[in-house]
Amino acid sequence: MAGIDVGGGHGGKRALNMDIPLIPFIDFLLCLVAFLLVTAVWSQMARINADAKVPGPPRPDEPDEIKPEKELHVEMRGERKFQLVWKEGATVINTIDVERKAVNVGNEGDVTFPALAEKVVSEWKNNGNHRASNDKKFDRAVLHTDNSTPFSDVIAVIDAVYAPQREFTLGVKTDKVPAFNLTFAVN
Amino acid sequence: MSGSKALSRFHQPISVPGRRLIHNVPLKFVVKKAVGGGSRAVNQEIPLIPFIDFLLCIVCFLLASFSASGELPVDKNVHLPKAENVLDMTEAPMVAITGTQILVDGTAAGSTRTIEDANRMQRIDELFTILKNKRELWKQVNPGKEFPGVAVLQVDKRVTALVVKSVFQTAAMSGYPSISFMVGRLGKNE
Repeated sequence: MAGIDVGGGHGGKRALNMDIPLIPFIDFLLCLVAFLLVTAVWSQMARINADAKVPGPPRPDEPDEIKPEKELHVEMRGERKFQLVWKEGATVINTIDVERKAVNVGNEGDVTFPALAEKVVSEWKNNGNHRASNDKKFDRAVLHTDNSTPFSDVIAVIDAVYAPQREFTLGVKTDKVPAFNLTFAVN
Repeated sequence: MSGSKALSRFHQPISVPGRRLIHNVPLKFVVKKAVGGGSRAVNQEIPLIPFIDFLLCIVCFLLASFSASGELPVDKNVHLPKAENVLDMTEAPMVAITGTQILVDGTAAGSTRTIEDANRMQRIDELFTILKNKRELWKQVNPGKEFPGVAVLQVDKRVTALVVKSVFQTAAMSGYPSISFMVGRLGKNE
């Protein structure tokens, strides 16, 4: 077994040679491995963010008039197509139709809308306002959905809206985050 | 002739030199061992040092990926949808919608029946009260800190958008404007 030899041990002195007890050490390591394996979290859970448009408390430095920003309204009530509508306040700037083509993923009935994702990416590249990594604000998307739409379809559309990604610096850390901040339309 | 006499006196058959011990034992495996049999040595030294290095590597990897917060509790009746453009999970009050029940961190907080019967978006009073109390409690425990206002919704994929929007709106009204939907992570190649 492993040992440390530093000489000495002669002339009635205590021996300085030491054997490292390897077997208990290995046992200890194996116990540690077993414990860590048992408590390991192999979770595949994640989250998709959505913001409610709630007004904050009034601030003294708030300007009297706030210029409305461009918003991307995603209309998913149609059976055959999605509609992407750029609006500035109540004014419609542009309307784009995208074919509603669902692609099945896995065998649990999940779907994605890659055509919609592709179109949202190109739209953000052309019309997105907040691109700089130090910009704290995000472009806003509003989702219009039917009351009877299943949640899996809603998530698939939100996932497509979050396809365009931008860099976002918070402190010293820079991450890739979705370029849009999504909220639900009330009606 | 004296030479031949001497030879006969010391006459011995010539034998092959080699091991002689334990040859008389009438057991084949003993004789085989004693002779050696030309086979490789059976005893093996376990290389302990590389083994310990390997174990230490595993320990380091597992320690690095160790999470003290444990696994997120997902109701077995909830089938979560999957998404690709996702964020990592965060610690926040968990609102689960399972079938007709609404739960906040495992405690019942209303039913989806009333919303479905009314067929319009509405506030869920029980959920509103529980979330509001949670927010007040957080503020008492963390005085002077800014409330994050994050809640996580754990929604079954078959639940209708009407119910989801009602829960979303109720959570926002009770002081949680930043809502996250819990989803399964979809690989880029799937």
